[in-house]
Amino acid sequence: MSGNESAESSQADVDPSVRQVCANGICMQTDVVEAKLDEGNIQEAESALREGLSLNFEEARALLGRLEYQRGNVEGALRVFDGIDLQAAIQRMQPSVTEKQPSKKGRTRSVESVPCVSQHAAGLVLEAIYLKAKSLQKLGRLTEAARECVSVLDAVEKIFDNGIPEVLVENKLQETVSRAVELLPEIWKQAGCYSEAMSAYRRALLSQWNLDNDCCARIQKAFAVFLLYSGVEVCPPSLAVQIDGSYVPRNNLEEAILLLMILMRKVYLGKIKWDPSVLEHLTFALSVCSQTSVLAKQLEEVMPGVLNRIDRWRSLALCYSATGQNKTALSLLRKTLHQHEEPDDILSLLLAAKICSEDVFLAAEGVKCAQRAITNAEGSNEHLKGVGLRMLGLCLGKQAKVATSDFERSHLQSEALKSLDGAMALEHENSDLMFELGVQYAEHRNLDAALQYARKYVDATGGSTLRGWRLLALVLSAQQRYPEAEVVTDAAFDESTKWDQGPLLRLKANLKISQSRYIDAVEPYRNLLSLVQAQRKSYGPFRNAPQLEEDRVNEYEVWHGLANLYSSLSHWKDAETCLEKARALIEYSADTLHTEGMMLERQGENDKALAAYINALLVEPNHVQCKILLGALLAKMDSRMLPLARALLSDALRIEPTNRVAWYHLGLVHRDDGRVADAADCFQAASMLEESDPVERFSSII
Amino acid sequence: MSDETTTAPAAVTTAAGDQETESSTTPNKPHITWSDSYTKAHDAIQSLTSILPSVPPSLSSSETPASCLLRDSETAAQISKLLRQPDSGAGDDNLCRWLYDTFQSSEPELHLVVLRFLPIIAGVYLSRVNLHKPLAGFEAVLLALYSHETASRNGQSITVNIPDLSHSSIYHETNKAAKNSATELNLAVISPTLEPYGTVRSMKRGQSSVAENGENGDLNRRIHLPWELLQPMLRILGHCLMGDKKDEKLYEAAIGAIGCLYERTLHDLNTKAMLATGSLLQLVKLASESDNVDYTEITESNTITL
Repeated sequence: MSGNESAESSQADVDPSVRQVCANGICMQTDVVEAKLDEGNIQEAESALREGLSLNFEEARALLGRLEYQRGNVEGALRVFDGIDLQAAIQRMQPSVTEKQPSKKGRTRSVESVPCVSQHAAGLVLEAIYLKAKSLQKLGRLTEAARECVSVLDAVEKIFDNGIPEVLVENKLQETVSRAVELLPEIWKQAGCYSEAMSAYRRALLSQWNLDNDCCARIQKAFAVFLLYSGVEVCPPSLAVQIDGSYVPRNNLEEAILLLMILMRKVYLGKIKWDPSVLEHLTFALSVCSQTSVLAKQLEEVMPGVLNRIDRWRSLALCYSATGQNKTALSLLRKTLHQHEEPDDILSLLLAAKICSEDVFLAAEGVKCAQRAITNAEGSNEHLKGVGLRMLGLCLGKQAKVATSDFERSHLQSEALKSLDGAMALEHENSDLMFELGVQYAEHRNLDAALQYARKYVDATGGSTLRGWRLLALVLSAQQRYPEAEVVTDAAFDESTKWDQGPLLRLKANLKISQSRYIDAVEPYRNLLSLVQAQRKSYGPFRNAPQLEEDRVNEYEVWHGLANLYSSLSHWKDAETCLEKARALIEYSADTLHTEGMMLERQGENDKALAAYINALLVEPNHVQCKILLGALLAKMDSRMLPLARALLSDALRIEPTNRVAWYHLGLVHRDDGRVADAADCFQAASMLEESDPVERFSSII
Repeated sequence: MSDETTTAPAAVTTAAGDQETESSTTPNKPHITWSDSYTKAHDAIQSLTSILPSVPPSLSSSETPASCLLRDSETAAQISKLLRQPDSGAGDDNLCRWLYDTFQSSEPELHLVVLRFLPIIAGVYLSRVNLHKPLAGFEAVLLALYSHETASRNGQSITVNIPDLSHSSIYHETNKAAKNSATELNLAVISPTLEPYGTVRSMKRGQSSVAENGENGDLNRRIHLPWELLQPMLRILGHCLMGDKKDEKLYEAAIGAIGCLYERTLHDLNTKAMLATGSLLQLVKLASESDNVDYTEITESNTITL
């Protein structure tokens, strides 16, 4: 090297724009040689070089080949390289067979395996083969190109028995090796040989090539991209490469995610530069397999200053919202929407409104966000106006549930409907909106409109969603059209798989119960119990997988429902057995206590029933059914308790204004207290509501 | 639709473009003899002649009829055109019957021929499913694919074990001693277990008494997009945008599609899908900005040293 440098400096007067070749401390311009090459006279060009630079045959040929390659004459380069017997040269470089140890592809590197030939000579030959591969690639002769490239790698593996030692390798040789390692999978991909490409990538990453960080990262990223998007599923890495319990990916997606995570970590460790596309690929991979919580962790690990903070908050909010951690998502969105950040970011506003629409106590905040989103839905965002209106409607509907006065409630409800209708005018094909309007109208007890939207929704989704069928059945049940509701439920059974049928079985049972066909209701409950059993067996170790949780049948609810059913049949013993099972699952539950109280009351044990109701309210202060039963029982037991009963019943109605049982009992209290007109009003309300009472609450579907 | 059936069309597009993939993507089962495969493919082509206006004679005379059928763009164009006809897909549709029979032949190469048309069938089917048109022909083909997939999965879900970098892997080491292998790996279910009997029932759709809504005139172009559909769509689009062998027209169409899908996920406020579609959009943008340095090229200089 130093010889070359001094030669160059001694020839500093040579114009650097003129091409020249240097070796053995001598430099010469290439014009003469190039002229000979252009005439097709390789041998003369070769001897000119050999004389001018005192080279041997192979050296001269290698230089000539490189010269041709660099001149863009790849065909010429191939002709020059064909003149060297490269395979023989490789043979010469290999350590003698007797010394050869069984090759170990371990992570341990031993310095002892110094090759017996000069690395310089090896570098020369390998570069020649590499350029031959590149030339063939450029000519589209891909299989041959790959073969040459493979021979470079095979030769290196033979020369360096235990992987390339970091300290002992010559620069130029290493460069050629790194390039060949990177090139091989690219050639196989170009040739459409995907399983060979896959092996080439693994060989690149699992053997010791002493690649520098950037080169290794490039290969890892290219491999991850290949695994993610090629659409080819070839066998996963064999367990043979596993080293004491380390993780071995079992399929493309796992391998891609592993590689991308490793790349992210290399950035934190300062080994490579930040590459935004790595995070995007990882985002794609993890969100496609619903692992946004893992993605959130990755986003949190990104060093400050790399990502725009608002982008990061927003992405994190999306991740957390997708995993159902809406509180965390909302607090991130609040940061984004802070007046000093981006208060008008429509995406954050809409998402915040959506999250708020699911919680009565956040609904008011959601209303503000949705309104701001609507104001900002202009220009390229105009198409989001309908979404804004939809969110506004949902938030207003939710807010109506905690309204402090009847006036406020009915105002909010009608505003909600107005908003949703406005959204519908803009997005009349939006099936979700049809469903939401259906529910909203149903809760407003406008059953005809609700039925219409429920039908539209079932139609638009081709009957593929359970909630559509359930809404339809509930609306029909509220119209007291039980036989039709049962037909709908049966249709839903046909359209769903057995794992999803829990809510349908419960609905079926409730439909029977509403028609006082208690015995018929036992059968669906029996099916529910076997579903619970099957579920427990089949999910086994995946029990905590969050994405399955929402589909599961709640075993507690099944036992509790069955207890209620047996108690309606006055099968006290069976009911008690069911309650025992329910208690084993949730020890203290207002629902269990509620059923217990009812059973006691019906058996005439009023004091014990009273205690059960009170206990239930201690567990869950807003338990509507217990408030009603407690109020009714108190009124029945002692007329001095009428004011207390009235307070309890009014309170129940504040929480659930459409509860007909509460209205009925309130009517009784008014009557017993001598307020006949009030009593009449209450009875009327109760009777009206009875005509529109669904077998399950509408809100149970959402 | 399941995940496997969706990587299949991706495999088709790649396989259709070149010869060498065949061996890797569709390993021939040992018990199938060459003459068996030949006869089945030949029969399939023969029956196709009565359905299509014209079938190139080169197909019938080919020695490798199945792979010719897979690659013949003219035949493919004719089939696609028929599938897109407004009255296609009914129970008596001959082409659907042909696709069904061809798939049932259990020839891997003929499977690919049918899978090639899955995107069109799915697209047409989904846009018509709520119009109360008879689609039993399409449904038969789709259900054939479904039951094949159900059988091949053998009651298992497709899952992904998300790696945890605090444990060593084949591609990296950690200083931490390997913990007991009962780790807190995140297990993702890509596609849940398929129900073998959930299939026949969907054929009954349209007979139920409630779905008799008479608004057929209203052409509903917006289709219902549950995650089961969206996820495979995303993977297919990922393949079109980021896979190898970029076809200019396909790439442009995929960019258009991902843009639409992104807007759709905004409308649905589907956060998971927003992340996935957003990342693909971002990747397209980054790809157009990148300077594409070829690191396998040697560094050129006017001074060539030995």
